[in-house]
Amino acid sequence: MDVLATRAVTRRYGATLAVDAVSTCFESGRLHAVIGENGAGKSTLLKLACGLVAPDAGSVAIDGQPLSPHTPRAAIARGIGMVQQHFALVEAMTVLENVMLGAEPLRGGLLDEAEARRRLAEVTRELGVTLDPAARVRELGIGDRQRLEIARVVYKGARVVVLDEPTAVLVPREADALYEMLARLVAAGRTVIVVTHKLDEVVAHAQTVRVMRHGQLVLSRDVDHDDAERELRALAAAVMGEDAPAQPAAPPRACGTVVLDLDDVRLGRALRGLTLKVHAGEIVGVAGVEGNGQRELTRLIAGLEHADSGRVDVAAASVVHEDRHQEGLVLDAPVADNLVLGEHAALSRFGVLDASALRATAHARLTLGAVEPGDPSLLARGLSGGNQQKVVVARALARTGDRAKLLVAAHPTRGVDIGAARLIHERIRAAASRGVGVLVISSDLHELRALSDRIAVMVRGRIAQQVDPGATNERLGELMLGEEGAA
Amino acid sequence: MSALAAIFSASMLAQTLGASVPYICAAQGGVVSERSGVVNIALEGTLLSGALAAVAVAHATGSALLGVLGGAVAGGAIGMLHALLVVKGRIDAIVSGIALNLAAAGGTRVVLRALYDSSSNSPSIEGFRFGATGAGGGAMLVRAVASPLFIASVAASIAVMFVLARTRFGLRLRACGESPFAAASAGVDVDRTRVAAVCLGGALAGLGGAALSFEQHQFQSGMSGGRGFIALAAVIVAGWRPGRAALACVAFAALDALEGSLQGESRALHDVVAMLPYAATLFALAALSLRKGAWVAAPPAGLGRHPD
Amino acid sequence: MKREHEAEALSVVTGLAAGWLAFAVIVWLHGESPREMAGLLVGGTWGTAYGAGQVIFKATPILFCGIAVHIGLRAGLFNIGAEGQMTIASLVIAAVGASLGASTPALLAVPLMLGCAAIAGALWAAVPALLRAKLGAHEVISTIMTNRIADALVGVALGLGLAEKGTVRSADIAKGARLPRLEAFLPSLRGSAANTSVFVALVVLLLATVLWPRSRAGREQWLVGLNPVACAAEKISVPRRLAEALIVSGAVAGLASAATVMGYKGYYEGGLGAGAGFTGLAVALLGRGRTSGLILAALLFGTLDQGGLALNAHIPRESMQVVQAVVIVAVALGDARVRAFMARMPRPAAAAKAQP
Repeated sequence: MDVLATRAVTRRYGATLAVDAVSTCFESGRLHAVIGENGAGKSTLLKLACGLVAPDAGSVAIDGQPLSPHTPRAAIARGIGMVQQHFALVEAMTVLENVMLGAEPLRGGLLDEAEARRRLAEVTRELGVTLDPAARVRELGIGDRQRLEIARVVYKGARVVVLDEPTAVLVPREADALYEMLARLVAAGRTVIVVTHKLDEVVAHAQTVRVMRHGQLVLSRDVDHDDAERELRALAAAVMGEDAPAQPAAPPRACGTVVLDLDDVRLGRALRGLTLKVHAGEIVGVAGVEGNGQRELTRLIAGLEHADSGRVDVAAASVVHEDRHQEGLVLDAPVADNLVLGEHAALSRFGVLDASALRATAHARLTLGAVEPGDPSLLARGLSGGNQQKVVVARALARTGDRAKLLVAAHPTRGVDIGAARLIHERIRAAASRGVGVLVISSDLHELRALSDRIAVMVRGRIAQQVDPGATNERLGELMLGEEGAA
Repeated sequence: MSALAAIFSASMLAQTLGASVPYICAAQGGVVSERSGVVNIALEGTLLSGALAAVAVAHATGSALLGVLGGAVAGGAIGMLHALLVVKGRIDAIVSGIALNLAAAGGTRVVLRALYDSSSNSPSIEGFRFGATGAGGGAMLVRAVASPLFIASVAASIAVMFVLARTRFGLRLRACGESPFAAASAGVDVDRTRVAAVCLGGALAGLGGAALSFEQHQFQSGMSGGRGFIALAAVIVAGWRPGRAALACVAFAALDALEGSLQGESRALHDVVAMLPYAATLFALAALSLRKGAWVAAPPAGLGRHPD
Repeated sequence: MKREHEAEALSVVTGLAAGWLAFAVIVWLHGESPREMAGLLVGGTWGTAYGAGQVIFKATPILFCGIAVHIGLRAGLFNIGAEGQMTIASLVIAAVGASLGASTPALLAVPLMLGCAAIAGALWAAVPALLRAKLGAHEVISTIMTNRIADALVGVALGLGLAEKGTVRSADIAKGARLPRLEAFLPSLRGSAANTSVFVALVVLLLATVLWPRSRAGREQWLVGLNPVACAAEKISVPRRLAEALIVSGAVAGLASAATVMGYKGYYEGGLGAGAGFTGLAVALLGRGRTSGLILAALLFGTLDQGGLALNAHIPRESMQVVQAVVIVAVALGDARVRAFMARMPRPAAAAKAQP
C-alpha cells in the first residue's frame, strides 16, 4: 500500500529546475532513503511531499487522495510529518510545551498538561527514548532536540515521518541511536523517509533507496543488503553520475613558504581537530558534503571566528565568502562601493572619499574581473548572479599579492554560468602562479579537480584524507560520504 | 521592605495603589502585545484614547461600568489598528506606534472639542461610587483597595499570568513571540494570534485609560503624560513578565505618590523623582545587554520578527 | 532604475493623498467644507508674506530634526531621541548664551553657541549610542527613555537656577548670540518669527545630503545600514559606525535649538520646540533622504502646523496631528508594499542606479 505518492511534481527556483516531474510512491511500513548531491533536489522533493513547498505542476497524494490544500497543516492532518534540517523549536519553552504547540489537549478550556504528558510518555515509549517534559529546549543538546522533533511529529499523529539530513549534525554514536529509534517507528507500523548524503547509512539501515540527480529521479529500488561493498560503490556511482574523464594532472607547482598552517584546530561542534597546510603558490581544494565545518573553516581563516583550541597560523587572508548575498555584497549599494568594501579608508583624504581614486580603482577591478556591465555606479542587486560573484572574486583577488598571501575561495562559482566560472577559475590560477596560496572550498568536484594541486576531503570537522586531483569521483565520493575519517 | 513600610503611611500607600492602576493595566497590555512579538510603543496613545472614550461613554450613558467598557473597546480598536498595520501591512512597529501616539494626541483634542466644545477638558463625571468616606489615611486606603478599577487591574494581572501560562491561546502567543518560524511550522497561525494579542493588549491599556480619567473624574487633554512610556519601561524592567511588571508599576506609582507628597518642595526635586523610572529602565537595558544578574530577563526572541 | 523611482514616488503620492483624505474627513466631520478649509489653510500660510514667514519659522526646527533622523535612518537606526537631544541642547545654549558678556560680538558668539548646541545634542545621543555599540541595547527603547529624562531635566535645570527668579524661563541670552529675524532684511515678513537659523538648517542639509555621503564615515555608515554582515566580513567596525551615526544625528538634532532659542525666543522655557523631534521622523520618512524631499516635507509639516492655527476658529488645530499621522502611516505602508514587491524579484532585469 502506497501511503505517500508524488505525481509528476515539478518545482522551479528562478531558472533552476529543482524538481523535474518526479513520480514516486512510498510504501507504508518501511524505511526509505532519498539520496543525491547538494542541489540534486531531494530536499525539495520531500518538502513538496509534506506540503511545505507548493508544486509548479503535478500533485501529491496521501493514501491515494490528493493533498489539498497544499499546506503543511493539511499534510499534518493527513498524517505526514517532517523534521526539517533546521529545527523549528521554541528555545525558551519546555519540551512539553513544544510538543503540545499546535495540537494542545484541552480540559475545561485550559491546557491539559497531564494528558499531554501522558501522550508524550506513550510516544517516547514507542521511540524507546527518554525526554524530560519539564526541561527547556535551550538546555538540550542536539541529539535531544532531534528526539524531541521526532517525538513531536509522532505525537501529532504522523504515520509518515520525513527527516531531512537527520545525521548531518550528529556524531556517529548519535546517528546509530537515531536509526535504532527509526527502526522502532517502522516496527510500530509507521513509514519513515530519510533524506541523506551518507551512503553507508543507507546501506546499513534503509530498505529502499531513491537517487536524485539534477532534479530527476535516476534510481529507485530496494537496497541490496547482501554485498555492502558493492552496493556502496553502485550507489556512489549513481549519485555522482558518469565519471568525468581523468584530466591530465597539472605539473606540480613549486611549493613556497607556508601561508596557512592549522594544527588540531577545534571550534565548537564544527571543527574537531582539523589539520591543514597551504603553501605559497599552490591551490588546495577542500571537498566535502556541506555542513561538515567548511563554513566555520572559512570564517576562522577570515578572522571572524576564534578557535577553541589548536594552532592557527595564518598569513593575511583575502576571502571570498560562501553566501554572496549575505556576506559578500551590499546589494543595494553601487558596484564601486562593493569592489572596495572595507578599503574606503585608503581611498579617502582627510575623511573625505576621493571619488576619482575610488572610481579608478573600481574600474580597474571591474575590467580585470570582466564584470558585465562595466558600470561601477550600478547597484550590485542589478547584476546577474554570475557578475555579482565576479565582483566578489575581483575584490578578493585585488587584495592578494603584497597584502594577502592567502586567498580563500568558498564556492567561488556557485550559481554562476559556465563562461563566468571559467573566467573565475582562470583568475584564481593566475593568482596562484603569482605566488598566492589558494584554498578553494567547494562541493563541486569538477571544479576542485580543475583547480587543485591536491584535494583535502573534509568530513565532520576534520580533514579525513588528502588525495591527488586525479582521483575518481567514485573514490572521492566514498571518502566524502564515508564513515568517520577513513584516514 | 520594612524600611519602605516605615516611610509609607497609609495615605501614601493609598495614593500609590490609586496611581498604579493605569500603569498596571497598560503594562499588562504591553506584556500581552510584546510577548506575542509585536513591539508596542503605542501604549501612550492607547491610554489617552481609552481615557477619553471612558469619560465620553460614562457621560453619555450615566453608567460608570459602560464607561469603563467604552475605554477598553477604544483601546482594543487602537490595538487592532496597530496590529493590522504591523502584522498585515508589514510596516515598522515603531513607525506605527509613533503615528498612533500622534493621532491619539491630536484626535482626542478633536473629539473633545467636537463633543464638549473645549480644548482642555471634559465635563466632570462621577465615576464609581463606593466604600468608606472620610479623609483619614485608613479610609483612603480602604477606598483605594476597594476601588473597582484597582480590583480590575489586579484581576487583569492575574488573568494575563494565567492566560499566558495555562491556556492554548497563551501558549501559542508565547510561541509566536519567541519564534514565529517555529510557531508557524507547528501549524500556528502567527498573524492571527498576534492580531488577537495586540488587540487584547490594547483593550487592557484602554482599561488603564479609563482608570486614569475616572481618578480625575474628567478627561484632560494630554493627561496620559508619559504614563504609557512608564508602563513600557515597567515591562522592560520586569523582563516581559506580567507579575513582575505589576510590581514594577507599583514601584513607579510609589514614585508618583512620593512626587505628590513633595508639595512645597522645589520643582527640581519633583523632576528628579519623575525621571527615576526612565533612568531605572536605562540601567535595566544596560544590565539586560550585559546578561548580568538574573533579575533581568531577555526580551522575547522573536520580538519584531515576521515568520517568513 | 525607473521602476524603483516610480515605486518611491508612488508611496509619496499615496501618503499625500491619504493625508488629504484624512483632512477632508476631519473637516467634514466638523460640518465644514473641505475645499473652503483648504482655501483657508493655504490662505493663512502661503497667502501672505507673514504666513509664508511663519511656515518657514515652523519648518526650521522640523527640518533640523528631519535631517537628524535621516542621518540615523541611512545607517539603519531609528533616532526617536531627536526630541530630547534638542531639549538638552536648548538648555545648554540657554545657559551658555546667558553667561556670555553683553558685548560679545556675534561673530564669536554665534559659532560658539552652535558648537555648544551640536556638542550637547551629540553627548546626549552618545548615551543610547554607546548602549547600542557596546551592549547592543536597542536604540528605540533607550532614546524613548532619554527623551523622558531630558524632559525631566528641564525642570531640574530651571529649578536649580537656570530660570530667572520667579519665572519658568531662563535669562535672555547675550544679544550677540541671537540669530536675527528675516524681517530685518525683508520688511514684508514683519511680525513673522522666521529667522536666519533657516540658513543654518539649509547649510546643514547640504552637508548631510551632499557632503556626508561622500565622506568615508558617512559612506561606511550607509553600507553598514544596508548590510552589516557583509561589512563585518570585510572588517568594517559595525558597532563603531552605528554609534557614530547616532551621535552625528544627535548633533544635528541639537542644532535645532538654534531655531528656537537663538532665533525665536532668545531664552529657553519648558516646552519650547516640543514635538519637532517627532515631526522630524515624519519629515525623514517622507523626504526619502533627498535634499529637495527633506525641504518639501519640512515645508509641508510647517504648513500644516501654521495652517492649523489659521483654521483654529473652525476646526481644532490639533487635527493636523491626525493628518500627519495618516501621512506617516500611508507612506510606510507604501514602502512596505514596495519592499515586498522588490523581495519577490531577486534579480531585477534592468540595473539600478544607486542613491547613497
